Amino acid sequence: MAKASTKTNAQNLQGNNACALAAVAAGCRFYAGYPITPSSEVAERMSLELPKVDGTFIQMEDEIASMGAILGASMGGVKSMTATSGPGFSLKQENLGYGVIAEVPCVIINVMRGGPSTGMPTRPAQGDVMQARWGTHGDHQIIVISPASVSEVYEQTVRAFNLAEQFRTPVVLLIDEVIGHLVETVHVPDPASLDVVDRKWADVAADKYRPYEAGKDMVPAMARPGDGYRVHTTGLTHDESGFPTQDPETVDRVSKRLLNKFDPHRKVIDHFEELNVKDAEVLIVSYGISARAARGAVKQARDAGIKAGLFRPVTIWPFPEKALVKAAKKAKRILVAEMNAGQLSLEVERVLGRDRVSGVNRIDGEAISPADIIDAIGKGA
Amino acid sequence: MRVAAKKAQDNKSPEEFEIRLSGSGGQGLQLSAKIFARAFSDEGKFVAQSQSYEPTSRGGLSRSDLVVGQGEPDYPLATKVDFMLILDQLAVKKKDTAIGDGALVIIDTRLVTDPPKGNFRVLALPLSDTAIGLGNPRVANIVALGAMVGEGNLCSLKVMETAIRQCVPKKFTDLNIAAFQEGLKLVSEKST
Amino acid sequence: MAKKKQSAETSGPKEFDVMSYLRRDLFPHFLCPGCGHGIALRALMWAAHELGLDKDKIAIVSGIGCSGRLGAYVDANTFHTTHGRPLAYATGLKLARPDLHVIVITGDGDCLAIGGNHLIHACRRNLDITCMMLNNEVYGMTGGQVSPTTSQDRYTTTTPTGNTEATFDSCKLAEAAGASFVGREVTVQTPTLKNLLKDAIDHKGFSFVEVISDCTEIYGRKNDLGNSPEMILSQKSQMRPDSYGGVIVDEPFRPNALPTGVLTRSDRAEYGETYRSTMASSKKGA
Repeated sequence: MAKASTKTNAQNLQGNNACALAAVAAGCRFYAGYPITPSSEVAERMSLELPKVDGTFIQMEDEIASMGAILGASMGGVKSMTATSGPGFSLKQENLGYGVIAEVPCVIINVMRGGPSTGMPTRPAQGDVMQARWGTHGDHQIIVISPASVSEVYEQTVRAFNLAEQFRTPVVLLIDEVIGHLVETVHVPDPASLDVVDRKWADVAADKYRPYEAGKDMVPAMARPGDGYRVHTTGLTHDESGFPTQDPETVDRVSKRLLNKFDPHRKVIDHFEELNVKDAEVLIVSYGISARAARGAVKQARDAGIKAGLFRPVTIWPFPEKALVKAAKKAKRILVAEMNAGQLSLEVERVLGRDRVSGVNRIDGEAISPADIIDAIGKGA
Repeated sequence: MRVAAKKAQDNKSPEEFEIRLSGSGGQGLQLSAKIFARAFSDEGKFVAQSQSYEPTSRGGLSRSDLVVGQGEPDYPLATKVDFMLILDQLAVKKKDTAIGDGALVIIDTRLVTDPPKGNFRVLALPLSDTAIGLGNPRVANIVALGAMVGEGNLCSLKVMETAIRQCVPKKFTDLNIAAFQEGLKLVSEKST
Repeated sequence: MAKKKQSAETSGPKEFDVMSYLRRDLFPHFLCPGCGHGIALRALMWAAHELGLDKDKIAIVSGIGCSGRLGAYVDANTFHTTHGRPLAYATGLKLARPDLHVIVITGDGDCLAIGGNHLIHACRRNLDITCMMLNNEVYGMTGGQVSPTTSQDRYTTTTPTGNTEATFDSCKLAEAAGASFVGREVTVQTPTLKNLLKDAIDHKGFSFVEVISDCTEIYGRKNDLGNSPEMILSQKSQMRPDSYGGVIVDEPFRPNALPTGVLTRSDRAEYGETYRSTMASSKKGA
């Protein structure tokens, strides 16, 4: 855990603001968005920060347009981002799918609030875990990250851009309203000290270039408009040339490349925190603000002699299943703590089987407290 | 380790504590919380500041919490507050389980007519009357800061004054510093 | 104003040869016999040729539908996006890459129905994008359903008793929403259409051009409108080579005679430049 230092460069930063600062530090130079609680501070901050680095901010006419605009900007070669909340995230899903199939790097921030529909705009929830995974139609993979503190929002926003660039994919940052609006003391790193990844650009002769032909890393190099490649980009299923195809053999090949694109890179993509998992008999699986409650609860339980542990996926999709299996080896009970009626718990059940798994859930617009988790630990003892 | 909410004997700031500032929207509680956060982090502490508000800009319950300690807390939201400010009857709950045993609860004499009851110390002060006396009822939140710092010994006065200067608009600096000092006076007069 | 003129090196031969602007290996193309879209694309390429645009700097952004498929045939940077959204993608692309000539190819359903919101805001914003909307009065790709521009009483697969809804006048819509260049032309007047598109591309700001196209195979057949030559000649006879302000102002919806040519042109500030100069001066001031 980060210790606050007495250095004077410590600042009290809100999660949403940290997200905007990190985006710019990661090289984001285009933001398009539409106002929606509780994410609007991201847009407000971007409108201030982007002009300082000759970037562009635009408030679009709607959520759909915002998603389209960031894809357009990224296809133009500029790192781009949008931010929204559940209702807007729903509206973005079709274009998000375009980003997946056309392999357009971009970052989508979803500061989650109570739902469905308008729900509770100012109250926290973690109800978009499955929407983030399966919101756009068709078989696909996507990277989804859920930070649990303001400093982690900063770190993970930078990482989201890096993953988006490295793997030519949309990356979703699922922040809950608590973390989005939470102000914490953070030391913002010097942007020059950050590892910033840029996408692989086409550098072969134009007549040799095949836009969707990938090497061993399964990630094709991208062509920048104006560089002479004159590429076709489409949301239709396309072969390595970029042009549509319905030939079953080709479709099978290119679809599988897209579906398995992240497989060789799981070491880079997977990210999780473990606390006292080795001998844990009760394992809490949690993410976002709920994991902060779990952290406190695990320590309190240990003080009371209960062998409790925490497994916190930071990258929640693709789900770090191998690490969870290992962490859950000794566990008699698995408690999945989340502010929904049980979403990530479905994935935990898939990985570990249903027998040991139960949920600690709140859907009342209040954050899960350490006491809620202590109660749940106590109930099974 | 949580310290008792009573005035620290050795006159040193407590190490870990939780503060809740509550009232109604528009009373400037978010600003007060921001000033507090600034002051605490300037003293090298770690601050987690959260808020709860209703989807209107003015009126409605508003509250801002601070969890203050030496490093990033496991749980950044207040669970048992040690210091509480209530600036509006709206924020008074019949049975408020979030107020810790022995906490210091400062209420406004004019706006809080029915104070909360429990195992904590309630201190009623003319915060808004003092602000009106200064010519601007909107600085009751800053008067309250003075009273809380004075009574709770939460941090050094110098650091607080610097934080106020950094957080309020320039043309209101003098008014806010005056309000802070009036707040300090309210509690020092009380104890002498 | 020669702002978009490029060096002649990459602009192809002096004589216009449409095939030099197309991806020949994609032929034969997908359009039905008699479809007007091919003529419109030819006119667009002809305009690009006469303006001397560098193919590497042309970005064609299209949506979904028959119109949306046209982009793939152009030997340029082509983006076939989602239904109704090409203007949204184009907005991001143009703001990120002001050096590109961003041209949107869209249809009446794509642009006026599912994408209507993006159209009016693109007109209002006045970013330097050219939007060529092919109006064939029908959703052709999906089999011939009614669109916002289907004439009244016409038969489509979803108006089995004839269209009872009113139609959009897209040029009036674009003008009212603030487009700084608006024009309309029929495909049979190909050189005139080419000149209109040239003006539109050369215009600094958002330009909207409605091309009256024909869907012979589905819409024409269903309504007994004859074959392609009959359809496009009849379209021509229904037009007035005129501008607004004539005899048709009291017709709230699609009048019998639609004006063609340049209908609106103003030198309102282009948004990208406004944004960049405002931000640059705020940076200086800070």
